[in-house]
Amino acid sequence: MLAKQTLEKVINEALESQADFAEVFVEKTVQNSIAMQSGKIENAVTNEKFGVGVRVAKKHNAVYGYTNDADEASLVSLAKKLATSFEGNRVRETIKLPEMKSGNKHTVKRNPSDVDAKEKTSIVKKADAAARAYSEEIKQVNVSYLDSVQDVWIASSEDIYTNDQRVRTRLGVASVAKNDKDMQMGFNGPGASKGFEFYDEIDVDAAAQEASRIAVTMLHADEAPSATIPVVVDNGFGGVIFHEACGHSLEATSVAKNASVFSGKKGEKIGSELVTAIDDGTIDNAWGSQNFDDEGRPQQRRVLIKNGVLNTYMVDYLNGKRMNEASTGSSRRESYRYAPTSRMTNTYIDNGESTFEEIIAATDYGLYAKKMGGGSVQPSTGDFNFAVMEGYMIRDGKIAEPVKGATLVGTGKDALQKIDMVGNNLLRAQGMCGSLSGSIPTDVGQPTIRISNITVGGRKGSA
Amino acid sequence: MNLEQLFKKAKEKNIEAIQAELSEAESLNFHVFNGEMDKHQIADTKKLKLKAIVNGKMGKFVTEDIDESKMDNWIDALLDSAKAVESEDEVFIYEGDSEYKDIDLFNESKLNKLSHEDKIQLVHDLEQKTKALDERIQISQSFYGESSSIVTLKNSKGLDLQKRVKNAVIGGDVVARNSDDSRNAFDFIQSNDPADFDLDSLAHNIVSRATALLGAKSLKSGRYNILLENRASASLLTGYLGMFKAENVQKGMSKLAGKVGQSVANEQISMVENPFMEKSSKSGGFDDEGVATQYKKVVDQGKLTTFFYDLKTAKKDNHAPTGNAFGGGISPTNFYIENGKDDVEKLIETMDEGLFVTSLQGIHSGTNAVSGDFSLQASGFLIKNGKIERPIALFTVAGNYLDLLNSVSTLGNDLKFSMNYIGSPTLKIDSMVVSGE
Repeated sequence: MLAKQTLEKVINEALESQADFAEVFVEKTVQNSIAMQSGKIENAVTNEKFGVGVRVAKKHNAVYGYTNDADEASLVSLAKKLATSFEGNRVRETIKLPEMKSGNKHTVKRNPSDVDAKEKTSIVKKADAAARAYSEEIKQVNVSYLDSVQDVWIASSEDIYTNDQRVRTRLGVASVAKNDKDMQMGFNGPGASKGFEFYDEIDVDAAAQEASRIAVTMLHADEAPSATIPVVVDNGFGGVIFHEACGHSLEATSVAKNASVFSGKKGEKIGSELVTAIDDGTIDNAWGSQNFDDEGRPQQRRVLIKNGVLNTYMVDYLNGKRMNEASTGSSRRESYRYAPTSRMTNTYIDNGESTFEEIIAATDYGLYAKKMGGGSVQPSTGDFNFAVMEGYMIRDGKIAEPVKGATLVGTGKDALQKIDMVGNNLLRAQGMCGSLSGSIPTDVGQPTIRISNITVGGRKGSA
Repeated sequence: MNLEQLFKKAKEKNIEAIQAELSEAESLNFHVFNGEMDKHQIADTKKLKLKAIVNGKMGKFVTEDIDESKMDNWIDALLDSAKAVESEDEVFIYEGDSEYKDIDLFNESKLNKLSHEDKIQLVHDLEQKTKALDERIQISQSFYGESSSIVTLKNSKGLDLQKRVKNAVIGGDVVARNSDDSRNAFDFIQSNDPADFDLDSLAHNIVSRATALLGAKSLKSGRYNILLENRASASLLTGYLGMFKAENVQKGMSKLAGKVGQSVANEQISMVENPFMEKSSKSGGFDDEGVATQYKKVVDQGKLTTFFYDLKTAKKDNHAPTGNAFGGGISPTNFYIENGKDDVEKLIETMDEGLFVTSLQGIHSGTNAVSGDFSLQASGFLIKNGKIERPIALFTVAGNYLDLLNSVSTLGNDLKFSMNYIGSPTLKIDSMVVSGE
């Protein structure tokens, strides 16, 4: 990519000022996406991203610039421009970059760039056919295929020079079930940090049928009630509750500015002792994994909450300076178009002791949220909301009729304390997380858990 | 960029028609947090989007690595892309319209009157003003963002259009705290004329929105009359834009299918798409396919008059294209519910009991764009006897968007746009389901 001398020159030019930190992020990404609608391949698009981001900082105050113009002269001029924010005598010695570190622990057997377009479209067609065959009530199926190879080179004044390749693969199936009364949608989107071999390892038909199963089930569902009741949230994508309600509030992005409900709470009990929560960016081939974070530091496994006690935040280098804490390797960004900040990777509540059956049997009346949709949170208050994609009422310790249209609202602090049962069936699921530094792939996850009571907003009204 | 050479090479490879969209953009952003400039960003980017018709199929390719020596690779990518397409829908590369409305979206002289230092000062001023207004403001952040872009659209059928846009936004975000509660608020002004940046009123809005909600508690579940504030209504409409797009209608994914000419909303409601709105970065004389944009009442006094079309969907419906091909699909430019007559104060005064909903959260997950159903986290105020009784939060309002449009009884005169230029005035709505305690 860019010559080491060029990177050094740009960094040193930026440091001809009172700045004490300079970094260059070079990215080349090739994404292939295929969209199938109405049973026909509608689009097959290759998208090439190529650009450079330069970040210069004095303490925690940063200036960031990015461009597609990667020749040395224009990068040096960008660095000079950025450095004008910190005019004054140089504070850092001349930077010499170390040897470049690289290496991919997330083995890729078939790089998507070596796979024929025909083979890719055949997976899309297979998924489409399986989703349609599930039921006559399935009237529309949209299948999206994505592969992405992101190459990054990161060099900074902190003795960092790394290269990382992130290969990702994902299949999305959205099914619409329809009758004369209603239309409902179901979605399933498995993905991994893998190449095309992913499709040898998953059951494409089953993954597609899962989307149709949800849509058909919800087509015949009653409206959810409006009430504050116990809610059992199932494993897998159910982990979005922790991601939204607590995860974002544990990112240095909000903690460092004292803008999080969990600011200053390290070592304190913030949740039920049944809860141990982990953010692990090192899991082999997981959707949210990286070898290095987007500041070039090795990814880590972080135990965020241990038996209800706040153990660590997710910290990036600059927010760490504000907090007097070291980076936890948590810095991420969508692309060179974003300055990085602390973000989640693969975040989950760890296994507990209860079985799924025990949790349902212990609940007289409540909601069983089998599949969650998305949600959002306001980190300063911890107020969250998220949609239940597939829900059922629980009556007398048994799963009863399906219900649609439920939204759960609450505060992260409160919900974390009200987790009163944790299952032993941990499962992760894939999602895209949007925040300050763009949209990034993350895994959410958990075993089945029960929240003793939470507000369920449905359209049926109170019973 | 030598597009003529690209078009010539394409012709040699039996490409029937080819179109290039080159976007060149520059942007500048400042962010001030508790008195310190903690972020400052500059960008200079280029993107080339190509599409080409080969054997009746549309191939597409996008690159930021705009190196003319790679033209042959781009053409190969277009050929591969077209080869993978199966859809039998007729595809188009457009010759162009006879006339395009010429609008000045650059307004250069005005925004450029501000120096770099002036802009930095604006952000600091806003931050200080918000902080000084109320001692309960514990955290305050403010920002200024400015972008200018030049989009060139050319194709092998002789289309040659260009659009220059410059726009800026200034805004703030605060957290107000008292002993047992903490509430945030956010507001902004978007324009390309610095005369619109009234920082005093902006600061006042942001601060009063946050402090007024302090101490908010949930409320009893039940059915309530609702006053849906302008910004909350605009964000709800964002969740249902899909209903008005011809591609969703044609695929059976919109409840508005077959309803053109019929009543779909209360007769007081008109919904307008105005691509010629001054000072909006979304305005423009043409869409991504080169079709001239047009002002239209999509809903006129409750009646649906049209959907949003691109060339492909228009052909299918035997309808004229409406100039709504944007971002690889169909989108409106500036789209809003037209103002009614009443001041919001009057709408509150004339409400015996109900909820003034000032914010809806989770639009992307809590709305079902196909069925129209929604269930959303809300906050606002409980109204009794025409007066605000107390702040409320952590409840949900649920309903169906088309039912809502029909049950609007009065419209305010306070049209406000979201950052994405979707707008609405405050709406008075009869009876919605609310979940609280």
